[in-house]
Amino acid sequence: MTEAEVIEAVNEVFVDSFEIPREQLTPEAQIFGDLGLDSLDVVDLVAAIQKRFGVQVRDDERVRAIRSMRDLYNYLILIRGEQHRA
Amino acid sequence: MKSILSALLTALLNLQFWIFAPLLTAIFALIAVPYAVAFNYTVRDRRRTLRLIRRSISYYGAMIVRCGWPLVRVRYVDHAPDETPPFVFASNHRSSSDAFLMGCLPFECIQALNIWPSRLWVVGRVGRIAGYLKVREMPFEQFLDDGSKLLAEGCSIIVFPEGTRSGSRRLGPFHGAAFRLAQQCGVKVVPIAICGNERIPPRGSLLLRPGRIVVNKLPAITPSQYAGMTPFKLKNLVRDAIRQHLDNQSGV
Repeated sequence: MTEAEVIEAVNEVFVDSFEIPREQLTPEAQIFGDLGLDSLDVVDLVAAIQKRFGVQVRDDERVRAIRSMRDLYNYLILIRGEQHRA
Repeated sequence: MKSILSALLTALLNLQFWIFAPLLTAIFALIAVPYAVAFNYTVRDRRRTLRLIRRSISYYGAMIVRCGWPLVRVRYVDHAPDETPPFVFASNHRSSSDAFLMGCLPFECIQALNIWPSRLWVVGRVGRIAGYLKVREMPFEQFLDDGSKLLAEGCSIIVFPEGTRSGSRRLGPFHGAAFRLAQQCGVKVVPIAICGNERIPPRGSLLLRPGRIVVNKLPAITPSQYAGMTPFKLKNLVRDAIRQHLDNQSGV
């Protein structure tokens, strides 16, 4: 999966699970402030991400630092890389 | 000269409010609380006692906001008067007066409280007796359990899904817990749009500014309307309904 494909897959999760218009899904968009997700929505988001990417991220401390879409893209690109090397 | 007179009048009417509101609170505590205890002892029906307590709190709230008259004028508008409870009411939150303004709703209701109001001596204790939900201090599963029981009894639940008061005309993002509860129980969600009270009182102040407040009960979003929607979609649908109404009333 290329970086562009990861970004596209993350955006698809937001469109499918939360019906957020694609034009709002910019790297600068804040997940809580701009997109309006709350802590319960994040639980749904984590479940959808895990299903889409086949990874376990629920207990990863780095997830707590994610604020923007760019953070999320970078985190998943990193995770995919780690998974690939392992 | 005119502005000095206006400021003097505002100060006098604030004095009126701050004399009558504590007096009313004391009368409420001295009469309503013993009456509820006596009622419970005589009738021995927990459900009827709770209904009495909750309606008394609503009357108290409605009277408190009227203590500000004529400086502050409050109007309640029901845009769909034929709907029957229970409801999950979701209101915008501009000012600390919002909790009292909910007394305008002619239904048996409890409120979901944030941390600081639940720690106030009177509000915390009376709220606990009435079954108010300390939404920030309980696990989500317990909120669902307790909320489901209240709705099953026919008691409506009022939430301020922004979580904290904005102190302005801005409408913040919504938290979704109450919408998940409504979906789980299959009850109607009623948007409440309060306009005109962002400076009554301003955030961080006790001074009431003159103004007109309108509490709008908007048409409910029914379970058949939100069937198949994600909680995220439902909360934003309710938020959009409130925002549209506030935009149309932007002069208020």
